[in-house]
Amino acid sequence: MRADGLLAMLDRWGRLILPGAVLLFFVVLTLAPLRVPYLSDALPLLPALVVFQFSLATPERLPGPLLLVMGVLLDLLLGGPGAPVGVSALGFVLIRAQVVANRRYLVGVPFLFQWIGFCLLAAGFVLLVWVFTAIFTWTALDPMPATVQYLVVIVVYPLLAPLLARVRPRDPLNVPELSRGTARPGETTS
Amino acid sequence: MAIRDDFEIVASQVRVAVQRFALGLLVIAAFGAMLIGKADTVLVEQARVLALDLASPALEAIARPVAAANRAIADLKEFASLREENARLREENARLLAWQTAARRLENENERLRELSQFREGPEASFITARIVGDSVSAYVRGALLNVGRKAGVASGQAVVTGEGLAGRIAEVGDNSARVLFVTDVNSRLPVLVERTRERAILAGDNSPQLRLNLLQGVAGVQRGDRIVTSGHGGSFPVGIPVGEVVQTGEGHIRVRPFADFSRLEFVRVVDYGVTGLVGGGSATPATPAGATTGQRSR
Repeated sequence: MRADGLLAMLDRWGRLILPGAVLLFFVVLTLAPLRVPYLSDALPLLPALVVFQFSLATPERLPGPLLLVMGVLLDLLLGGPGAPVGVSALGFVLIRAQVVANRRYLVGVPFLFQWIGFCLLAAGFVLLVWVFTAIFTWTALDPMPATVQYLVVIVVYPLLAPLLARVRPRDPLNVPELSRGTARPGETTS
Repeated sequence: MAIRDDFEIVASQVRVAVQRFALGLLVIAAFGAMLIGKADTVLVEQARVLALDLASPALEAIARPVAAANRAIADLKEFASLREENARLREENARLLAWQTAARRLENENERLRELSQFREGPEASFITARIVGDSVSAYVRGALLNVGRKAGVASGQAVVTGEGLAGRIAEVGDNSARVLFVTDVNSRLPVLVERTRERAILAGDNSPQLRLNLLQGVAGVQRGDRIVTSGHGGSFPVGIPVGEVVQTGEGHIRVRPFADFSRLEFVRVVDYGVTGLVGGGSATPATPAGATTGQRSR
């Protein structure tokens, strides 16, 4: 079915691990001491953006267990004392599940719809993290920084999403669902 | 044909069910991680330290480009206000020179007075200079990652200072990395003194740029502009590190602006005040020569 040369194999492997690698990169980048005003506030939400964007086209390359590991890693790296470890993992898994369940409205539609979809899911993600952090540290957290973070990331989305989409332009799987072959209608690998 | 169709339908239904179940499992796993994190804080701290040690080389690798980008942005900002900045610095320099003279005079005087009163000074502090390789600043945490760790002598609880004043304390230590919790973090509580009145207070962060001062003995006479310094109570903090100044006084809440500029930190110093070192050193110092001599004798 597929050519089995060395290059073809490398190509396949590269494609297989690329989304995970990009996600890992953004998880580590969260810690980078970048001092760009506003943008640095949004860094902790960029992994969620990556999860959303790759779940649109190739969810099978971001399997649930990988998201779990990445989310826990993000929480470990980011969290202060008392912050919940695993809340980002929960958020990632839920984002992926929502994207996969709502492919019909998110894949192969104008960019604006994807953006709206991202706005909704990111709002849910921010709210989830905020609520869990507030419960775990048992303090009335100021919602302002989280709101700023959210607003910045939805503004950043149109800048970053096309770049991430370019990461997989010649992917044979990156075509509308009917001609994909591997993913069957209704399949929601988690 | 019909049988095969039926089979496929059933198969796909089973698959969907399994996948639903998988989502549930993942959600349960995430909750499980949170519960474990709540129940076993030691395990989580070890995991954090491990993650920091693993991430720290990657951060070191991107530190240079990130620093270059930051510098370019800072340059752009400063370029606009170069002239005013220069004038301000000249003025400040003149003022500081006057202070330097005063400080020298006071130092001499202090020394003489100490000699007179047989005053014993506290343990000498030593510094470990560190580069900030990572920010852990999010909506919920105010902190940073340092490129020094246990191997360089950093220990949990040590004070972290900048040129201007106290930045925070060491919260977690790995072999070659450490996490600072800034004084502005919501988890930060710092015993302090109001420098002018010597009143004790607790300085608390709430993730905003300013700090909250909770006085222990009423709000007697704290004014705007009062300097807040560490009191050295309950911990390995030296006495008298400047922390910030009072910018707002009101009904029961006093706001303090920290001296350290958290938006442009690049290098910090970890203060090893040696309180833990004093205890360990006391027993270790006599033990070493004794061990060495017995070792020689047995040969």
